[in-house]
Amino acid sequence: MIEVLNLGKKFKEVEAVKGISFNVSKGEVFGLLGENGAGKTTTLRLLATILKPTFGTAGLNGYDIIKDPERARGQIGILFGGETGLYDRLTARENIEYFGLLNGMDKREIRKRIEFLTEKLGMGEYIDRRVGKFSKGMKQKVAIARSIVHDPDIMLFDEPTSGLDVTAINIVHEFILDLKQQGKTIIFSSHSMKEVEKLCDTVGIIHKGKMIEISSLTLLMQKYNNMDLEDIFIKLVGDSNA
Amino acid sequence: MLKYIWIVFKKEMKDTFRDRKTIFTSIIIPILIFPILSLALGSGASEIIEEGAKPIDIAVISENDNGLLKYLNAHQGINIINTDEPEKSLEKLEVKAIVKIDKYFDEKVNKGEFGTVEIMYDESSQKSSMAYPKLKSIINDYSKIIVSKRLKELGADNNILKVVDIKAISVAKEDGFGIIMFSMMLPMFLTIWSAVGGIPAATDLGAGEKERQTLEPLLTTKVNRISLLIGKYFTVVVAGIIATLASLTGFIIATKLKADLFGTISTLPINTILIIGLFCIGLTLTFSSLELAISFYARNFKEAQTYLTPVTIIMLIPAYLTMYLDGKAIPNAYFHIPVINVISIIKEALVSIYNPVHIGVVLIWVIIYISIALMVTVKMFNKETVIFRN
Repeated sequence: MIEVLNLGKKFKEVEAVKGISFNVSKGEVFGLLGENGAGKTTTLRLLATILKPTFGTAGLNGYDIIKDPERARGQIGILFGGETGLYDRLTARENIEYFGLLNGMDKREIRKRIEFLTEKLGMGEYIDRRVGKFSKGMKQKVAIARSIVHDPDIMLFDEPTSGLDVTAINIVHEFILDLKQQGKTIIFSSHSMKEVEKLCDTVGIIHKGKMIEISSLTLLMQKYNNMDLEDIFIKLVGDSNA
Repeated sequence: MLKYIWIVFKKEMKDTFRDRKTIFTSIIIPILIFPILSLALGSGASEIIEEGAKPIDIAVISENDNGLLKYLNAHQGINIINTDEPEKSLEKLEVKAIVKIDKYFDEKVNKGEFGTVEIMYDESSQKSSMAYPKLKSIINDYSKIIVSKRLKELGADNNILKVVDIKAISVAKEDGFGIIMFSMMLPMFLTIWSAVGGIPAATDLGAGEKERQTLEPLLTTKVNRISLLIGKYFTVVVAGIIATLASLTGFIIATKLKADLFGTISTLPINTILIIGLFCIGLTLTFSSLELAISFYARNFKEAQTYLTPVTIIMLIPAYLTMYLDGKAIPNAYFHIPVINVISIIKEALVSIYNPVHIGVVLIWVIIYISIALMVTVKMFNKETVIFRN
């Protein structure tokens, strides 16, 4: 369960996030849709406690991101797009194990979990090889395993498919759908309407730091006479600019 | 907290020493630099020694035959080159000097007057400059022969010209000069390496982490930032100590190869070793922290290298300033100047001076430096504008 309450962030004079509020229930996939620079990454960084809010707060499974940032962080797994952010000189196993240890797991637990994830993601051939020479798809699988090694209840995805080829995109999509089936709480940020339509239950449209619409996909379509999500997005953003 | 510091430290050590670049800059270069320097300086020195042993090529300008010309012709240390344009030959260094003998040289000498000789040489050329004193000495020898003849004619002994008989006796042990060189070189390179040895690791652990985009996932784990920072900090400190030990190994090899350049290793008392070790680690603790702070501030690897290069240059200044400092006469003010105070304590320890006031004062200063450096680093690591500068 994620509860975001009037969350805001200012960088000197720039107000990147202007007091947004929304809730994501257990088992729900919340799509955070917005153009580049709309405030999606800042919102996710605030929830991950990498950035401190200027005002407002959020609760992750009841843990306040300001009062109890370490426990709040313990609830989440995060997967970023673009570069996978792995240690090239470590093996895939060492990369995953490191993040397991940093999330408070013991070695036995980690070993079991890595066995499970290796099997699930088909990493058996390369789990003990150094990551440096892996393909993008292989790296993405390792990054996925790293993000869920501690089996978090909440998953944050920050444009996880950006810069990936079709096969790698498919790996990520299947991974998200699988997590949804497991009843995880998910926020998925994207600027791709198609991805949001495919994966999300609820969508929040963010523009210039403001949440201009929050609705379930079905209600959104009904509200705008079954218009295409892309058209709805353009209309909402256009109205907001006016 | 300790558990997480240990996890981060272990991982960073593994990652750092799997990096060939770090191994090269932190271990191989420090080991090789002094032996290579000793071989290079050694070969340069032997070329000069070889040149000094050869007869000097000179041109002689003399309108007539005279005693000096005959003397120079017969001298084994001189090789007279016949050239039509002696000045051009000197420019091209075909001759190292030109000796111009006065037309009336013999006549003047025979009359008991001064015989005039001009020596032309090129002060900007090392070979020509070296030839000049040798040539002067040979001509002076000729002069002494004439003087001796004149004295004989007057019925006097050569010794009449001697007033004082100077005998030089060195009280130093056999390797006295070697020890001076050793006590000059050791504090200099130990302090430099203690301060800059952690730079490759710091660059990788701060800016490198940003460039690889591994920092953000790391900050989303349960671990607090202080544990992450301390784990990284100790990795840089250990890398700095390893680099210092590697350079010490290289230095010992160099002293075996070329003792006249790097000095002779003397067996140091345990007190001296402990004091040197303590203060070098103090320097490493201070500089590792600052290097990590600078590295976190940098946007990427290249920027970190640009910012960290001046640290090496800054370190060279106090190291060279105190190179000739006598360990037995260090001014009190020196114990309050950053870096210079550590070098001063090492210099004192090398001459077996263990002044508790000096040691206490410098230790307090070092603790202050470490505290300030760590405060700066923690502040940097917690600053969003630093972590997300790019």
